[in-house]
Amino acid sequence: MARLHRVSIYSSILISIYLLVLFEVLPIPLIDTNVTQDILPVIPWWLLVSFGSYSLWSLGWGVFTFRDCPEAYNELLQEISEAKTDLRSRAVTVD
Amino acid sequence: MQGQYNTPNTHKYSVILPTYNERKNLPIIIWLLAKVFEEHQLSWEIIIVDDASPDGTQEVAIELARAYGEDKILLKPRAGKLGLGTAYIHGLDFCTGDFVIIMDADFSHHPKFIPQFIRLQQAHNLDIVTGTRYRSTSTPYLAEAQPGGVHGWDLKRKLVSRGANFLAATVLNPGVSDLTGSFRLYRLPVLRHIITLTQSRGYVFQMEMMVRARALGYTVGEVPITFVDRIFGESKLGADEVVGYAKGVWQLFQSV
Repeated sequence: MARLHRVSIYSSILISIYLLVLFEVLPIPLIDTNVTQDILPVIPWWLLVSFGSYSLWSLGWGVFTFRDCPEAYNELLQEISEAKTDLRSRAVTVD
Repeated sequence: MQGQYNTPNTHKYSVILPTYNERKNLPIIIWLLAKVFEEHQLSWEIIIVDDASPDGTQEVAIELARAYGEDKILLKPRAGKLGLGTAYIHGLDFCTGDFVIIMDADFSHHPKFIPQFIRLQQAHNLDIVTGTRYRSTSTPYLAEAQPGGVHGWDLKRKLVSRGANFLAATVLNPGVSDLTGSFRLYRLPVLRHIITLTQSRGYVFQMEMMVRARALGYTVGEVPITFVDRIFGESKLGADEVVGYAKGVWQLFQSV
């Protein structure tokens, strides 16, 4: 089963449960219906905003911690010139 | 698992190097590879798959084969520019090693990381080891791993890269930090298996191989690498590539 299908099935199940509870077809035990009717309509927006903030944080942190490696560049340049001299002595065309 | 080759390591490592117009870079990358392999007493070979380069890449490859040995440098050319995936498939036909390393020929991937790949693979009996530009430590743990990084990328490029990786990680949950990286060590039968299943082209191809490998249950480790981009010239990333990438991620989401 592809990932798309798995994700679709899980989300359909969760969304149906959510809608059933929202329209008071299914009751949630132990919590007052007033409270649930206040919180439930807001849950999708809360998920969206949470995901948005997480993404933004993740991107920002990722760019902040993205290492530069100038030492690798310098080392490579040195190795290239070393390689060229050695290769010329082995009769390989380098420029 | 024991190999059958006459080295302390007992395994043989085949490097498949697809080339197109790499006459300047090819001798040096071969020199670096040979140096690393000889220093670590590894049995090796390099298979150069050249797509009919007009700049004389194949002539240089023949000179290198004479310098290093015909059994070590194999030139297996093709008639035209046929793409990366098929280049690997073509190269795989000539592999005599039990492990395959794929990498770029333009110095962005440095052979000095290959011993670390090998060490990690042997320590944990992994099927695949991939290089990552985004991590500072390896997974699973390897004491000699140095932090990864990139040279030659400006802020915008880094942001695009992180964004692309975030998208792929969220949609596909691949379990590796660098999905588009193409510096990898594979067990030969694993690579053969995955490559027959892969359908996309370009860098999405690299992503697809990794996602399929994970889906099939192969074990993957990561080693941080330093990536020196475009040592000669500039790195370009256009809008088409971004769209192509998003399409590729969506296709993988649908098919794997």
